Amino acid sequence: MKNPLNKRLLRELAGDFSKYLVVFILLAASIGFVSGFLVADGSMIAAYDESFEKYRIEDGNFCTQSELDAAEISAIEEAGVKLYPNFYADQETDGGSTVRIFQNRQEVDLVCLMQGRMPEAADEIAIDRMFAENNGLEPGDTLAFSDREMKISGLVALSDYSALFSDNNDMMFDAVKFGVSVVTREGFEALEREHIKYSYSWIYEEAPKDENEEKEKAEALLKTVMENASLQAFIPRFLNQAIQFTGEDMGSDKAMMTMLLYIIIVILAFVFGVTISNTIAREAGVIGTLRASGYTKGELVRHYMAMPLLVTLLGAVVGNILGYTVFRLVCVGMYYGSYSLPTYTTIWNAEAFVMTTAVPLLLMLVITFGILYHKLSLTPLQFIRRDLKKNRRRKTLRLSRGIPFFSRFRIRIVLQNISSYITLFVGIIFANLLLMFGLLFPSLLHHFQTEIMENMLCRYQYVLQAPLEMADADNVLEYLLAAARMKAGTATQNEDAEPYSVYALKTVDDRIESEQVSIYGVLSGSRYVPLQFSGEGVYVSEGYAEKYGLKAGDTVTLKEPYGDGEYELEVAGMFSYPAALAIFMEQEQFNETFGYGEGYFNGYFSDTEITDMDDKYIASRIDEEDLTKLTRQLDVSMGSMMYMVDGFAVAIFIVVLYLLTKIVIEKNEQSISMVKILGYRNSEISRLYIMSTTMVVSVCVLLSLPINDIIMKRLFIFIMVDMMPGWLTYYVAPSVYIKIILASITTYAVVASLEYRRICRVPMSEALKNVE
Amino acid sequence: MFLEISNVRKSFGAEDNRVEVLKGIDLEVGKGEICVLLGPSGSGKSTLLNIIGGIDQADSGYIAINGERTADMDEKTLTLYRRKHLGYVFQMYNLIPNLNVRENIEVGAYLSDRALDVDELLRTLGLYEHRHKLPNQLSGGQQQRTAIGRAIVKNPDILLCDEPTGALDYKTSKEILRLIGTVNQKYGNTVILVTHNDAIKNMADRIVKLRDGVVRRSYKNDAKIPAEELEW
Repeated sequence: MKNPLNKRLLRELAGDFSKYLVVFILLAASIGFVSGFLVADGSMIAAYDESFEKYRIEDGNFCTQSELDAAEISAIEEAGVKLYPNFYADQETDGGSTVRIFQNRQEVDLVCLMQGRMPEAADEIAIDRMFAENNGLEPGDTLAFSDREMKISGLVALSDYSALFSDNNDMMFDAVKFGVSVVTREGFEALEREHIKYSYSWIYEEAPKDENEEKEKAEALLKTVMENASLQAFIPRFLNQAIQFTGEDMGSDKAMMTMLLYIIIVILAFVFGVTISNTIAREAGVIGTLRASGYTKGELVRHYMAMPLLVTLLGAVVGNILGYTVFRLVCVGMYYGSYSLPTYTTIWNAEAFVMTTAVPLLLMLVITFGILYHKLSLTPLQFIRRDLKKNRRRKTLRLSRGIPFFSRFRIRIVLQNISSYITLFVGIIFANLLLMFGLLFPSLLHHFQTEIMENMLCRYQYVLQAPLEMADADNVLEYLLAAARMKAGTATQNEDAEPYSVYALKTVDDRIESEQVSIYGVLSGSRYVPLQFSGEGVYVSEGYAEKYGLKAGDTVTLKEPYGDGEYELEVAGMFSYPAALAIFMEQEQFNETFGYGEGYFNGYFSDTEITDMDDKYIASRIDEEDLTKLTRQLDVSMGSMMYMVDGFAVAIFIVVLYLLTKIVIEKNEQSISMVKILGYRNSEISRLYIMSTTMVVSVCVLLSLPINDIIMKRLFIFIMVDMMPGWLTYYVAPSVYIKIILASITTYAVVASLEYRRICRVPMSEALKNVE
Repeated sequence: MFLEISNVRKSFGAEDNRVEVLKGIDLEVGKGEICVLLGPSGSGKSTLLNIIGGIDQADSGYIAINGERTADMDEKTLTLYRRKHLGYVFQMYNLIPNLNVRENIEVGAYLSDRALDVDELLRTLGLYEHRHKLPNQLSGGQQQRTAIGRAIVKNPDILLCDEPTGALDYKTSKEILRLIGTVNQKYGNTVILVTHNDAIKNMADRIVKLRDGVVRRSYKNDAKIPAEELEW
């Protein structure tokens, strides 16, 4: 004979349809989104991983000041690598973007054609798909540079630029103002020689067996290259953000999304726990009788667990179907909106299935089992007597008669439903944490952007470069002549221009991966960096101090990026410069520290554009757009995602509130019916029952703000310290709190109106019913 | 003897608040007998019934049913024992609200491998035409009959009834008592019935009067009458 208790399940579902429906929708949507995300992520990662072999992605690249000759190449290749020239030039478009132009690659870092065709004529160009999308460009359009126009023949993905980092030291890639492209050999030869960067990709003759060997090989190669060439940049693949960032980010996204799902499941499991506890309290007599009749605790635990598990299973099945269809496409779109990935094929992801089906079921099973096992461990007699408290409170809490009757009544309701309210509090904290995350992000980016603008050293910051003729000089005389020409060429009459020096070093810290720090040498009494230098002390940017926990008097150790040299600098104070991790010192000290002659400088600060300088001496000009590319890209990549996070947060808020406040009313249906008989009006009853919940919700929302602020700050610092180079200042705009409160009030108002309707519907006959 | 109760003691509370509810109860009930435990409120009759049914434990003394002592059983064995041998009827019907009459009785039948025929029992209980109704569509008497059906359907050796007519009117109470008598006759179960209604003792084979936790009188009823003839 089948257990007749099973017949209750469908009736239970029909009888409390709204409860199960909202939980089901939230579960199916969460599981669906995460499932879609994991399938998309898995398929994308597979395509990304496959691309290393399929597109012969380099093992690294380095840039030299001038083109290597055959002897130099041969000397370097003796270190066990094969070199492939992969020269490029950065060209400004009329729209103010930078396009990195490569000659189409044939042997290494191959190109994936996504749309249109590869360039065939000298005036044709195939540009990165994502850059094209972000700038509204399509095949057939014309891309205008300062000196010429090129026709876009197709859209491509460059295998070594899945994340569009223009500089490997950037905090974030920039797919809006920076793009990569390929042209024909003729097209490339038409570029001005002065703009060419001599980049060489390498592939090891024998692939390294593991990461350690890869590092050792890279270090050995670095020495060889330095011995044979004037090195400007050296980026092994494992350090190349343009290649690695995508894979790492997809991995961390996956962890974040599954964690999000599990938190939602845990909250829903606890919501089920509370509703089950309520059912157990309501059916105590039945349970006692069944236990007295011989039903085992296990049979009843299984019976009461069935519905939560059934709803979770159903949510998982529907969620997975949605995941593989609708949500997968949404998530793929998100990835294609951030990364320049090659084409992919959907791969059945067993791990995603386990993570979105087995794990949620297991979580639900463990939590509901734990709660039920605990709740049903009372004796049959205790159930029959409805004596459900394991530790019965000996004395009822006395409330002063000075407290008005309605307030005392409400306090009693709160005490009676304390377990529901605790779960509600946890749910509100989580929902508001999500909401805060969604709302905080745009405001944080905006604040960071404003902070950068307000603390910009100057409006135009120029970095100078030595011309090729200096590098190519065969003797001292030629070199000195070139240097003299450079001095003349970089002299300016602009009164705003102030010389400075800049040098890049790397951090040395066991806890945090090494990252770049810009060391500035500025004039004493500088107009742009108003610091009072005294002695040997240096000033560190506030973000740097915050990230590394530096304070005045500390010593920072930094090292040469491509050498063994180490520097120890004493911190004299902090300087507000949020754009980068930076150290400021007096120019004389700078020249002394790095061994430059007196009067040396390699850049200008200026509030007005410098127009009387020879372009060939300008390595880069940093303005507002360069400094704000981080915020711009984060906004593009994650902006739409934040709206989804907000939506989820509100959904969780509604579901948790609805289910738990429903319990409060259900528990008190007889009392509500009784006070109706006594003559209380619905509005008065609402003031008793709904107002109690309103007070609790208000307190929970207000308490959640500082708690979430602490949690969010810790999470943020963790991410900034452990997962990202550079530093973003944690900032919560007051409007974020106001929005959270408003969102909470609005959603609660919806729930409260539903509860008011429920109160109105409680019949007076309820009080006369036999307690079943 | 089928049911043997020996020197059963039970107290509640501790130290100053300690109340001794049962003060050494000795009792024997034969198989197939109807035994009525009679006494005023607080006399310990329900506590004794709960101890017999294994849902409460005596502080000392023992209960043996068919030679098996319940005090020696662990919780699991005790549950199995209740499942196989005991049926419970309470003053509150404790029916499952979203199962109909038939299904509520099936809940009991599920526990037994020698369950009675549910349809036949429904007819015996006079519930056959109400079998598809939910508990909230039934009168108090019908609900109590359903509760009896749930207890009796598994054909227990002992049917324990705690104030089964406590919440019912005179006419319905007599109906229920008649039903208990019928069930006893038809299926031969031992019935232990707790009540404070003195008139009910007349339908018993054995009458046990309790007061202040002690058996004041225990005797065989030689003038047993059918339940429908009871008057109070």
